[in-house]
Amino acid sequence: MEYRLRLAKRMLFNKKGSLIGAVLAVTIGILVIHVNFVIFQGLFDAIVRDISNYRNGDILVTDEADYIDKSDVALANWFERIPYVQGATPRLSSSAEINMTKNGKLIEETRVPVVGVDPIRDVKASTAHETIAEGTYVINRNSVVLGNNVARDLGGAQVGDSLKMLIVDRYGEDQIRRFTVAGIAKSPGGQGLDYSVVMHIDTLRDMMSRSGESGSFMVKLNDPSKAFEVKEFFLAAFPNDDFIAETIEESAEEQLAGFRSGIAMINLIGYFGMMSSAFAIVTIQMMLVNGKTREIGVMRSIGAKRKDILVIFIFQGMIIGAIGAGVGTAAGLGYTIYAKETKMSFMDSIPLEVNYDWEKIIQTALMSFSLAIIASLYPSYRATKLLPVEAMRTV
Amino acid sequence: MGENQVKALDNASFSIEKGEFVLIVGSSGSGKSTLLNMIGLLDRPSSGKVFIDGTDTTKLNDNQISSFRNKKLGFIFQFSNLLTDLTVLENVLLPRQIGGTNSSAEQEARELLKSVGLESQINKRANKISGGQAQRAAIARGLINRPSIVLADEPTGNLDSVTSELIVQLMKSMAKKLNQTFVVVTHDRQHFGDVDKIITIKDGQAFEGDQTSNMEIIA
Repeated sequence: MEYRLRLAKRMLFNKKGSLIGAVLAVTIGILVIHVNFVIFQGLFDAIVRDISNYRNGDILVTDEADYIDKSDVALANWFERIPYVQGATPRLSSSAEINMTKNGKLIEETRVPVVGVDPIRDVKASTAHETIAEGTYVINRNSVVLGNNVARDLGGAQVGDSLKMLIVDRYGEDQIRRFTVAGIAKSPGGQGLDYSVVMHIDTLRDMMSRSGESGSFMVKLNDPSKAFEVKEFFLAAFPNDDFIAETIEESAEEQLAGFRSGIAMINLIGYFGMMSSAFAIVTIQMMLVNGKTREIGVMRSIGAKRKDILVIFIFQGMIIGAIGAGVGTAAGLGYTIYAKETKMSFMDSIPLEVNYDWEKIIQTALMSFSLAIIASLYPSYRATKLLPVEAMRTV
Repeated sequence: MGENQVKALDNASFSIEKGEFVLIVGSSGSGKSTLLNMIGLLDRPSSGKVFIDGTDTTKLNDNQISSFRNKKLGFIFQFSNLLTDLTVLENVLLPRQIGGTNSSAEQEARELLKSVGLESQINKRANKISGGQAQRAAIARGLINRPSIVLADEPTGNLDSVTSELIVQLMKSMAKKLNQTFVVVTHDRQHFGDVDKIITIKDGQAFEGDQTSNMEIIA
């Protein structure tokens, strides 16, 4: 082994306290970045996931004229012949006033969001049906699913209860119908249809006097990376319509923009944490240099050049960086695996969407390794400035 | 206010032939170690020149001085100054490795350690051997590059009288065996017996011959 590397290693490993301190500094720096990434990027991705799963799909099609008048069967069939498409389903939205008598008491809720779904197609394009905590998803035109929060506001509405809904149609007329509660929807973190009422899209069309129309088309892909390709293909296929097609990033941009800058700031704080670990390395290595003054003097007196001394202490920085990056990355990955396997969430909120971003993992490890080397430059330089005769006098 | 200039050495002029065993003696503070540091290129004279093997060492730059120290000079210090992070063998090998020539180095180091009686200690950490053993290892380290001069600064200053005697005999035998020049700074004049040359430093000036008899020696 190269003698300078051997000396660097021995000097470092014989000062276990300093080695552990320096490695811990690098490890914690990396861990902070991994934890930040898992929590904040995980939260961001979870929100994107839920918006995509419950509301927008991977591609959301709307119309400049507010409503799509093209046949939903035709549109769904068009999408579903593309191999990348898992399912496509129409959605229609409105708001309603709900009356319900519970325990002899009349409870009224106004401006409750209503979502009309095609129960057959919706299960292919959305996971909203998986959020049914009690009962079933929309089964017929006279049944509705209440979001958990709506059911609570209605005095604890339950499956089988009867309620009356009023929706104002396109002509300003009140349309009133009675429905049976088929199910209660409750999604993890409340990002689903917990604040809405879900009903059959044809019933909602009838009540809104919008026969055959849809508010949007939700397209779910089995390969979300093809979203842009499919979107462009769709727009090119219907050049004479006024369709608007947006990928999830585009359709959810308004909701996510603030969050995105928040993540950037959190990442910045993580990198500042890494910088502070570099300062810890400088301090620890200065202590190592001060503790090895005699050895430096001896080496210089038997012929070591300043460059050799510099290399020895830079090797120490590399060893600290390599071990720290290894331990830190292992700890960070351990935390990431734990978060992913346990579907980590905080205070029963939205479960994090944890992904392994290998590029970021490698980038973080390399950055901390480089920082450890950079941090060792000043102590190494100081070591080269020791004059052998002065160093020997410290004996 | 002016600074008081102290001349540690003044008008110290002498020459040493190859293979000579030279003692530098003098009272404490007389400038013996300063003289040794000048010869060892650890210190530079403010004026004057130091020639070793015909090279004016005062004209060398820092890198050249390091190479010169490595190839032409060997050092034995009072406290042996082995690197405690290395084994005895690694300490002896170090000057050779610094010089960048490794072929047959380990074999030579083992032979040297054998000749100083440390063959059973070669793989021990330097801080796990006795003071006398450490000083013997330091002698081997000083000799590994077959330097022009081995400089020893109070090599027995930290040892008991029996061990001191052994170290002196070892140095003298190695000097004879290898025709190696030794320059030894010492207070223990009596331990060394007959040597080729004695240089006495008195008030910063060098005199050939032992002139310590009429000086107060502070050990």
